Amino acid sequence: MEDKMYRVEHLKKTFQSANGNRVQVFHDLSMDIQKGKITAVLGPSGCGKSTLLNILARFESYESGTISIPNNVGVVFQSPALFPWLTVEQNVAYGLKRRGIRKKERKDQIVKYLQLVQLEEYAAYYPSELSGGMQQRVALARTLILHPEVLLMDEPFSALDPKLRVQMQQLTLELWKELGQTILIVTHDVEEALILADTIYVMEECPEGIRKKIEVPWQEKCDLIRNTKEFFELKNSLLNN
Amino acid sequence: MGLLLPVAVLIIWFVVTSDESMPNYVLPSPKEFAIVFWNFIFGGADASPYSGKMLENLQVSALRVAKGFAFAGIVGIIGGFLTGRVPLLRKIVDPTVQALRSVPGIGYLPLGMVWFGVGEENTLFLISLAAFFPVYLNTQEGAARVPELYLRAGRMLGAERLTLFFTVIFPATFHNVVVGLRLALGISWAYLVLGEMTGVTKGIGAIMMDGRMLGHVDIVIACMVVIAVTGKLCDWILMAVCQVFAKRLMEENSDGR
Ligand SMILES: Nc1ncnc2c1ncn2[C@@H]1O[C@H](COP(=O)(O)OP(=O)(O)OP(=O)(O)O)[C@@H](O)[C@H]1O
Ligand SMILES: [Mg+2]
Repeated sequence: MEDKMYRVEHLKKTFQSANGNRVQVFHDLSMDIQKGKITAVLGPSGCGKSTLLNILARFESYESGTISIPNNVGVVFQSPALFPWLTVEQNVAYGLKRRGIRKKERKDQIVKYLQLVQLEEYAAYYPSELSGGMQQRVALARTLILHPEVLLMDEPFSALDPKLRVQMQQLTLELWKELGQTILIVTHDVEEALILADTIYVMEECPEGIRKKIEVPWQEKCDLIRNTKEFFELKNSLLNN
Repeated sequence: MGLLLPVAVLIIWFVVTSDESMPNYVLPSPKEFAIVFWNFIFGGADASPYSGKMLENLQVSALRVAKGFAFAGIVGIIGGFLTGRVPLLRKIVDPTVQALRSVPGIGYLPLGMVWFGVGEENTLFLISLAAFFPVYLNTQEGAARVPELYLRAGRMLGAERLTLFFTVIFPATFHNVVVGLRLALGISWAYLVLGEMTGVTKGIGAIMMDGRMLGHVDIVIACMVVIAVTGKLCDWILMAVCQVFAKRLMEENSDGR
């Protein structure tokens, strides 16, 4: 039987900083990531969330542990990280081109994904001509268009204003319902984690790693959850410890 | 507004050369100068040795600049990218380059004369050497500062090694390369004149020296004007070439509409 989980086991990571100090980020971190579900990692600043994500994306090395996540994951970075010398369309085409997809096919795909993030009119714009939220949507499109089995997101919406953040969360949910990838999202926003995730891992100050795992009780994900008593109580319990 | 000052200079020029107090061999009047200049370019007005000689000398000079600049540009770009992207290489190479650079370009003139004699090769040596540094340093700076985020994004989207270089590192550094090349082209013309003044028979710099020795200030000034105009023209051409190149480079990545 195929495993329903990606497993991260006994991960250990120490940074050797330039001034000779050793920073142990986590000494024994394990977590399961359910395939086809959204998992959130929640934790205070500096607890090692980005480090964890960078390790899972194979950007960063680690000392020991095992990771069963495939190494061709999609990543949405905290800042959009679009190539400023390419237009929106060319940015979205970039990954397809690296995979040798033919021009005709590329074009259809690009149109489809730009529509999905509601930016089809901006195909010929350069990133610098777009707002931060629009740029982040382009970044989402250029990653999703490659159909990554696993999508890693590092505080993707933290730089956006609250209203736009909610919109982007809804967009993420819609895309996820349509495309059904496995998503791991790093955030320090409790509400964001509750809205998006099926499972939440709460991290502690480093090097303690993961403190607890929470399964979100509601089945259906939608923005209205925000108004329920359950949501409120869960949010408060997460905020208070 | 930018024309205000040149016009003022022209007027002053007219005034100071209007009576006999200013001898011709120090500063000719604008009118005389214009005639000499015209004759220098197109010939025909009188039978001075410079008559109609501008173009052939400019060609010789331009070719020297082109050679020296091309050499400096190619070595500078390759060297800049290598040392910019490979820290070990930078540690090995950079101290030496910095040491060489701390001698001003003109300080290499005597050495160049010993090694290459006076003339052609010495000129090329001086141009190449002096023009190398801005290209090398700017390219290195740009290449070293390509944001890690772009590299990660590129890798995540499927680019590796050479593809990563040509689709991420090079475009991200391109602006610095252009800055370096423009500086280098200006410097090339400066060192061309220096090299040519040390004893070549043809070239704008040679004519300047010739004019000075034979007391033709007018032709010296004419050469200065020619160099200034050509230098500006070269900068425009370089910019245009870079722009076309940048466009092609980016289109490599595009889908076209
Ligand atoms: N390249 C590095 N060299 C040395 N130490 C590092 C490096 N990157 C991160 N660290 C250290 O590792 C720890 C975790 O950093 P990390 O960026 O993973 O935190 P984070 O949870 O993502 O924080 P934030 O929410 O502020 O983004 C920090 O104490 C940081 O100082
Ligand atoms: Mg972080």
